[in-house]
Amino acid sequence: MRFFTVLGILFYAAVIILAGVVLIVFSLNLLQPQDIIDLLIFTQNNINSRVILGLSGLLLILISFSFAQLILGRFQREKTIAFSTSSGEVSISLSAVEDLIRRITGVLPEIKELRPDVIATKKGAIVVDLRVVLKSEANIPELTARLQEITRNKLQEVLGIDEQIIIKIHVAKIISREDKERKRKEQESNDSAIPFSGYGRA
Amino acid sequence: MEREESRTELGTVRVHKNVIASIASLAAAEIEGVKRVGGDLKSGIAEFIGQKHRFAIGVEISKNEEVKIEIPLVIKYGYNIPEIAGRVQENVRNSLEKMTSLSIKDINVNIKGIERG
Repeated sequence: MRFFTVLGILFYAAVIILAGVVLIVFSLNLLQPQDIIDLLIFTQNNINSRVILGLSGLLLILISFSFAQLILGRFQREKTIAFSTSSGEVSISLSAVEDLIRRITGVLPEIKELRPDVIATKKGAIVVDLRVVLKSEANIPELTARLQEITRNKLQEVLGIDEQIIIKIHVAKIISREDKERKRKEQESNDSAIPFSGYGRA
Repeated sequence: MEREESRTELGTVRVHKNVIASIASLAAAEIEGVKRVGGDLKSGIAEFIGQKHRFAIGVEISKNEEVKIEIPLVIKYGYNIPEIAGRVQENVRNSLEKMTSLSIKDINVNIKGIERG
């Protein structure tokens, strides 16, 4: 796997260097537009060179595709929390942890909206970034402390991990009652604007 | 290697990778707390085309006939993940050993998501 990564990097470096050299040569007026046109005409007229060119294009696409897959696969693999058992390895996707946090915090009525972002650091710690929208009646220091406590306890309980869990909270917005009322009214007016919207209701 | 092969007096018995994947999938789904097997994009496409077991579970058979299995799972909310993963590994191992007599090297469980039960 490592060999192919190195090969891919070298290949891309070579292609970019080649493109750079062509541009420099062109800017130094060493390469005339007519030369390029002649080369293209020669390639188009010769069946062998067209076949070679087509196959090279196909090869380029295949190399790019496999290289992209290699990189993406590696990124995907890194986004997990893993531990070993006697039967094999258990890896937990960080998006699964984010799902879990979303559900945990559903029990707090003061939270209007929550967006978790979980990162596993190389040192083994788990950093949870919570971006929350609160209702105006919430006591922020008390609520955020409670949120951190609930999140930490539940993560330790459900994931069964002993690693350090760092929970950062960012209060992005506080929705007031007036905002809520306005939204509710807007919703009601939208509903009433739909013709036959109440038709058939029990 | 595509199939696990064993020789009997009457001939050879070949177990296809898909059979191993199906057994593993059914054994994993038996465990309480498992919402479904799969959960990634590949499994979603496989489920859509009706080939759920075939693509959701990864099966590798090494040259010395050891089997390595990758099982993506979605767990129900409220269950302890290491406990569920352990039970899945145990049930899959037992089912495969009972039904195919294969030598199981690794059963890797990947938790892809958590959903309400």
